[in-house]
Amino acid sequence: MRPQDRSYLDSHEWARLDGDVVTIGITDFAVEQLGELVYLELPSAGDSVSRGTSFGEVESVKAVSDVNSPVDGEVVEVNAGLGDELGPLQNTPLEDGWLIKVRVAGPDALAGLIDAAAYEELVAAQS
Amino acid sequence: MSENAPETLLRTPLHGRHAALGAKLVPFAGWEMPLQYDSILGESRAVRAGAGVFDVSHMARFWFRGPQVAAELDAALGGCVTDQPLGKARYTMLLQEDGGILDDLITYRTGEEAYFIVVNASNRARDWQTLVSRLAQTDCQDITEDGGGILALQGPQSWEILRQLTGQADLAPGFLDLAWPDSPFGPLFIARTGYTGEHGYEIFVDSVQAGPVWDRLLELGVAPVGLGARDVLRLEAALPLYGHEIHEGITPFDAGLRFAVRGWKTRDFIGAEALRALGEPSRELVGLTAEKRVPREGYPVLADDEQVGEVCSGVYSATLDGPIATAYLRKGCAGPFTASARGKEFPVTRVDLPFVPHRSRD
Repeated sequence: MRPQDRSYLDSHEWARLDGDVVTIGITDFAVEQLGELVYLELPSAGDSVSRGTSFGEVESVKAVSDVNSPVDGEVVEVNAGLGDELGPLQNTPLEDGWLIKVRVAGPDALAGLIDAAAYEELVAAQS
Repeated sequence: MSENAPETLLRTPLHGRHAALGAKLVPFAGWEMPLQYDSILGESRAVRAGAGVFDVSHMARFWFRGPQVAAELDAALGGCVTDQPLGKARYTMLLQEDGGILDDLITYRTGEEAYFIVVNASNRARDWQTLVSRLAQTDCQDITEDGGGILALQGPQSWEILRQLTGQADLAPGFLDLAWPDSPFGPLFIARTGYTGEHGYEIFVDSVQAGPVWDRLLELGVAPVGLGARDVLRLEAALPLYGHEIHEGITPFDAGLRFAVRGWKTRDFIGAEALRALGEPSRELVGLTAEKRVPREGYPVLADDEQVGEVCSGVYSATLDGPIATAYLRKGCAGPFTASARGKEFPVTRVDLPFVPHRSRD
């Protein structure tokens, strides 16, 4: 089972709420489907993102894929650890391979997203 | 890479071995084929550094036999095969009346009145219908599904590996040579051909022996390589792929493949008249590199904010450790160029093809 401290999106992103900041990343399943990653495009601090809309792109040897935001809000931090080296995203996307942190309006920012159990079912169906 | 829900995917004689190796299997032209065993880039590097083996048993195989076969094939194909020596392979193509490319293929002359032809799996049905309709007096046979295995052994060490596999040195010594050795695995048909730009062989073997040959190659240290790396390697070597660099809207001249229609000025074949009527091509096939992003198939290429072409194929090159692509650009266009990824432009640099020099004749 993937971590239960966060919510997931059908399009294979995860979101974890700490106070009024949501950390966003893509799941290990997404990385496995993409294969070897070669390029990542992310917004800058200060940019706004909106739920269900692409905020970046991750590119592998095989394909390029949108990364969708699970929430509405303003980017407060971009993972500097992915600046030159995509290793953390490739190997530990649920941990230090996170992508951006977004300040959200309220504690119900993740309402309507799916939980870990539902995400497991989704992955099982797509595997 | 995907197909429109075929009822059942065909399996090559090596399917069980791919599954046992943990390969990622994907539908490809009606077959279930290994995309990668481990890493696309790692598999690509293994071929350039030593030797790799690809299961290409999905490729379509036809036999053509009869007293009229050479003359009829000469009229049916872009290339000349009447003067093709016995025991040699040749690269040529199947053209439409208007000179557009239906497919590229390899002809193997195995006898005075016998040619073996290998075409792209994705074009099997259409190529078969086209050839049968153009070869009225020739005996035609499609042996794709009972034709056994094709193992492509590629890389600088493939000469030595083939010696150890067969117990014989110097089989098919020259590029495009054919050989029919006896081996510990029974009779093999070997062609000095490939799709990587490296020294290599394609080994045709019956269904029963395909597995044992594969196992022996892996024992000898050859890396299993999937279709993902095959695409990287062929693009590094700038070898064209149907549906990308070549298709019905492209002539052999556009693609820089004049050698595949040798004698087009004087010979009579389907498409020749149209080729003779063509002026100089208005576009050219070029290589592009980029800093980080891969210029992908279909991305527009711009110069001075004006679209001057489009990307045919793009991958991340394992050998160059960076993005590479092919594109058709309007002739005489000077850079600098950008590629547009869904509205976002990024710089690309025009370079000479191939990206990685060919060593297939070494």
